[in-house]
Amino acid sequence: MRVIILSWEFPPRIVGQLANYVKELAVQLVKKDVETHVVTYHDFLTGEYKEPEGVKTYRVKNPVRTHIGVLTWVLTLNQEVERAAANIYYKANKQINLIDAHDWHFIQAAVTLKKAFNVPFVYSVESLEEHRSHGTNYPFNMSIKSIEWLGLFEAKKVVVKSEWMRDEVVRIYKVPSDKIKVIAPKSRTWMKDILETYKNVAGGTA
Amino acid sequence: MTRELTVMMLTWEFPPRIIGGISPHVYHLSKSLAKNGVKVYVVTCDFPGAPQHEVVDGVEVFRIDSYKNPSPNFATWVYLMNVNMQKEAAALVNRLGVKVDIFHAHDWLVANAGIGLKHVFRKPLLATVHSTEIGRRNGLHFDYERMIHETEAWLTYEAWKVICCSNYMVSHVQWAFGLPEDKLVMVPNGVNIQEYTRNENADLRQFRRKFALPEEKLVLYVGRLVYEKGIHVFVNAVPKILGKVDAKFVVVGNGYMKEPLSNLVKSMGLAHKVMFTGFVDDKTLKNLQRCADVSVVPSLFEPFGIVALEAMAAKSPVVVSDTGGLAEIVEHDVNGVKVYPENPDSLAWGITKVLLDEKYANWIRTNAYKTVLEKYDWDKISQQTKDVYQAVLKEYSKSFWA
Repeated sequence: MRVIILSWEFPPRIVGQLANYVKELAVQLVKKDVETHVVTYHDFLTGEYKEPEGVKTYRVKNPVRTHIGVLTWVLTLNQEVERAAANIYYKANKQINLIDAHDWHFIQAAVTLKKAFNVPFVYSVESLEEHRSHGTNYPFNMSIKSIEWLGLFEAKKVVVKSEWMRDEVVRIYKVPSDKIKVIAPKSRTWMKDILETYKNVAGGTA
Repeated sequence: MTRELTVMMLTWEFPPRIIGGISPHVYHLSKSLAKNGVKVYVVTCDFPGAPQHEVVDGVEVFRIDSYKNPSPNFATWVYLMNVNMQKEAAALVNRLGVKVDIFHAHDWLVANAGIGLKHVFRKPLLATVHSTEIGRRNGLHFDYERMIHETEAWLTYEAWKVICCSNYMVSHVQWAFGLPEDKLVMVPNGVNIQEYTRNENADLRQFRRKFALPEEKLVLYVGRLVYEKGIHVFVNAVPKILGKVDAKFVVVGNGYMKEPLSNLVKSMGLAHKVMFTGFVDDKTLKNLQRCADVSVVPSLFEPFGIVALEAMAAKSPVVVSDTGGLAEIVEHDVNGVKVYPENPDSLAWGITKVLLDEKYANWIRTNAYKTVLEKYDWDKISQQTKDVYQAVLKEYSKSFWA
């Protein structure tokens, strides 16, 4: 199985807890013989790199240097993510089983790649704008929510880390609960559940 | 037989959605390309009442959801709209199973979609730069403007070739983004002369009476009412002209300067001489251009100046400021009058000259019509564009993407 993980943070760039989680996920996947590519952002450590543990990283930076906020920054970074993912896709003779997009940042890329290549994607929800902004509803927040909605709508499966988050996704975005899989990071069945979900999403192609 | 060339145009406006000059440009270019054997798909923003998919004059038009949630500002809306445009265009290419040979993006408004599609499908991207932020704003003053400028730079960086509509724009774009000279191609903008010659003999006297008295000359301005178009220069020229010749000044278009300008006109006591019509329908506009005793383009910054060309096609004499693309279209005393930009005295002089000397006016408008026929015909322009496509594809065929 060959997987592309999209995450806006990955060591050595650590913003919150997502970076280390994605790193651990990628390393464990490699151990289970999953060819794992991580497309992520870094301002100067750009390009392709094979990490000691066998994870293949592809770091891109934003071609537009001046921004008026995180939203426009994210929206112009996605094309570089698409470029990196497309390069992986063509190098692998178009054999990518699935994309795992973590949080809302690279949803645009995940959706476009799905539409272009028929590669399904998993949306792994770390947090939601509703909670990050404590219910604030400026156009800025609503725009991010609309991207989260797009990701939830287009994803083949939504992975959350707690039952509470599953209920929140259902409550806020009216996503059918059977589209959501709860996989707790510290549970004993964590990797088994991840692999099972990946296999289901990839269908016969895995 | 070789397979026909297929191009996917990306544009944020296409008729009936008309905001500025890109909409008619892409419409005429696509239509003429289709006539010249190019398969054209247009992906554009939706518009109330316009179908999601239709075939217009041989061109396949797809309209996407233009993102209608609230967004913080215009630029952010543009990027969000591009999320939708990119995903729909990607789905379209996938679904149609057609091989799109080239993606052709018009301005930064579709930069993200064009760049993403280029990399995902590994096809060459062409960009037409109709205007620049640094030109529109006369410099970059805020991060917001710098962000747009850098998005434009990014588009030209990713594009295989950059098309500009005038020699002025070629040098401006080369300077603004530091591009190599051989990346730039000049293909002029065009005008469809048939649209102006139809019903040539129709009696426009009744129509004209809605705008001006029979004894008044009709002076026409068409354009957005924004600073860079120099409409304030035009309004300041009005009293200087009225001292010499009786005229009615008709201002067509909308923009943020409409309120202050109409207040200014009122305070000058000239409300009965200057008429703000707002946005008018296509037929009214063309009739106005045919009736006008003079058409005025007083721009401070003008990448091309399509409105001057339209007036010339309608056989109305033109007075333009000597700047940008206008300076290339008009040859002074031959097919129009050139005046100093941002100078109401010079502008008033030019307009008065045309209005008082009928022989002169006839001379320049006859020559102007010939210029349009010879240089700005869409059929020729689309052929030039097709040549650019073919040159790009020839280079592309030697790349590892092919």
